[in-house]
Amino acid sequence: MKIIVCIKQVPDTTNVKINPETNTLVREGVESIINPFDMYAIEEAVRLKEKYEGTVTALSMGPPQVESALRESVSLGVDEIYLLSDRAFAGADTLATAYTLAAGINNLEGADVVLMGKQAIDGDTGQVGPGVAENLGLPHITDVRKIEEIDGNGYMTVQRLLEDGYVRLKVKLPAVLTVVKEINEPRMPSLKGKMRAKSKEMKVWTAADLDIDKERIGLSGSPTWVTKIFTPPKPKGGKIFQGETRDTVSELLDELVKGGIPIKRGGGK
Amino acid sequence: MNHFKTTEGYEEYLKDESRFTGTAESISFPRSEGDIQAVLSELGPEQILTIQGARTGITGGAVPLSGHAMNLSGMKNITGLRFNKEENCFYITVEPGLTLKELRDRVSAGDIPVTGPSAGLFKSQPEHFFPPDPTETGASLGGMAACNASGARSFHYGSVRNYIYGLRLLLADGSLLILKRSVQKASGTRFSLVTEGGREISGELPRYSSPDVKNAAGYFIKPGMDLLDLFIGSEGTLGIITSLELKLIPLPGVIWGGLYFFREPDKALDFIIQAREYALKPQAMEFFDPGSLRLLMEIKKSMNTFSSVPAVDEAMQAACYLEFHGDSEDEVSGRVVYITDIFEGLGGNADDCWLATNPQELTRIIDFRHAVPEAVNLSIDLLKKKNPSLTKLGTDLAVPSRHLKEMYGLYVRDLSRSGLKHVIFGHIGDNHLHVNILPADTGEYEKGRLLYGKWVDKTIECGGTVSAEHGIGKIKKDFLYRMYGEENVASMLALKKIFDPGLRLNRGNLFR
Repeated sequence: MKIIVCIKQVPDTTNVKINPETNTLVREGVESIINPFDMYAIEEAVRLKEKYEGTVTALSMGPPQVESALRESVSLGVDEIYLLSDRAFAGADTLATAYTLAAGINNLEGADVVLMGKQAIDGDTGQVGPGVAENLGLPHITDVRKIEEIDGNGYMTVQRLLEDGYVRLKVKLPAVLTVVKEINEPRMPSLKGKMRAKSKEMKVWTAADLDIDKERIGLSGSPTWVTKIFTPPKPKGGKIFQGETRDTVSELLDELVKGGIPIKRGGGK
Repeated sequence: MNHFKTTEGYEEYLKDESRFTGTAESISFPRSEGDIQAVLSELGPEQILTIQGARTGITGGAVPLSGHAMNLSGMKNITGLRFNKEENCFYITVEPGLTLKELRDRVSAGDIPVTGPSAGLFKSQPEHFFPPDPTETGASLGGMAACNASGARSFHYGSVRNYIYGLRLLLADGSLLILKRSVQKASGTRFSLVTEGGREISGELPRYSSPDVKNAAGYFIKPGMDLLDLFIGSEGTLGIITSLELKLIPLPGVIWGGLYFFREPDKALDFIIQAREYALKPQAMEFFDPGSLRLLMEIKKSMNTFSSVPAVDEAMQAACYLEFHGDSEDEVSGRVVYITDIFEGLGGNADDCWLATNPQELTRIIDFRHAVPEAVNLSIDLLKKKNPSLTKLGTDLAVPSRHLKEMYGLYVRDLSRSGLKHVIFGHIGDNHLHVNILPADTGEYEKGRLLYGKWVDKTIECGGTVSAEHGIGKIKKDFLYRMYGEENVASMLALKKIFDPGLRLNRGNLFR
């Protein structure tokens, strides 16, 4: 089985600061990491390989420093790494990114399964996965929380996370899946994996290596306009009720009624 | 000045993490050295008082038995900073209530509210850090100094003692001592100190010698010693620390962590013994026995907070965590390769080793390490719910290196014969393993207590210590007498009387 996992290098936003004047991320001193949701995609890809045999290829688009993210994926069990890197790709929105990644996948002569995280923690759009699938003409399933099985006829059964449960879906491979964190628990990189990562050859493809329409990549292929970025104001006030549950619930109800929320009291056992 | 009677609402200040509970008539929360002096004069010359920090200790050291409780957790200011160019180190002055976590966060964020040339330098210099790393980061720095705390990295960096360069102390009578490293030293076993008020305090140091292992039991004594060291690890029995000057050293450019898994625990011990012979040995060496790995995996399944702990292959029977600090990736990876050769030479497989080479991976692996003691505490809490009289039986013994295998063998034999559920983990680089017994009932607790006593005797026979890092406090006093003998402990008490004639400070700690 041939599995491709698309990953993105993002700033580690767990301790991120916002410049209050420009409303943009302060990037100085912020580590670059593999998009956390993509870590689950890598793990799932490696598990599929271990179960069904095959290879896992990681693919990313970005500046040369993305090499460290791709190498990290090797330490987690990825076999081959490819980077799409060219000044012409810079400034891409989700449309151009999906188009470019799809072209990369075509250059790799496709895959049985393409996996990626449900969204990246910097842009948070969740559009690239479905976009790649549309460009490739493949079916896609987002928010996959479990891959149940792949049967002998090339059908994969998955569980897709919903707000109040999940839906079981069957899809004919090849297909594109985006995964949620419930799907697995990423392993720790092994020492052997780290050694492999150090010596692994990484292939870099520029725009000239891909069969693409130059008008559809980078800034020129990106119709998205960011008109304003702002930090939402922090909610003010709030009240914490402390004490015995019975008393605090009662206090909370009083407060809500006082605030004009109609609540019918009593009757509970 | 907040000077409270102990009434409802202050019960939590009558215990620490050992769950040992005491009593007090009053409590205060001073915010400055001046406040402490005011409390002392209000209490008068007779009152007994117990000094507290964050009460994260596990020997009852901060638990009052009577009298007054003085809680310094509100004294959190950073009051000074200086740079020593030759050493490339910063010296930071803090109040005793600042916690380790607060110090770390503020140092790494450059949040040092001090002006002057050093403050500017602090921002422009590469990052510096405070190396001592007890697992409990909520510990106060005053408390850490009082019990000479250490942690995983003390294998390389040493205990808190090595990073304290100055102390301000108030004695029980309110007089102030200002101590600086290398300034006030004993002359042989004679010592003399002068308070800020001009009173001379002099005497003779006890004649016993401290064991040649990592140690936090009893007063640190050495002929010609730096007198500052007498107060570090004295468990609040000599004076009240009102300010500490701490050394911050340059943060290594590269920190990697490796968790090496073994199918046989004995191989893990051989691995440690061989790895610490290496000239460029790791900065930390920790051990987890089969019980630690199993408990962690059990608790991971049942509790959400542990769900992110990485899963361990069930075939693994022990693990060693090694941490490597260096200036460059090439240097550190060369050392990892050397250690891995030892690992493979003992039948280990490089696939059975987790290697963290970036901060995210390191956090996961360190969380794994910290999850073991947390899992032990949670298990004890669950057992206590069924039987409130049960408490944790956790050892803090360390022996000289040549006795490591013998001691571990004794633990394993005794525990397997007794059938007691247990977890052994800890600072194996210093031959300092914590054996934690999880008793199911009072009978098992008693059985465990007897074993603990037996191990204490064996440790003393080997030339080890009854407390390597937690201190003696109120619950290990008998061990101190067994370790040093009645006469030597009496000489410690005589020394205390020179500084605290009324035996008012932290009564019940160290001495019967």
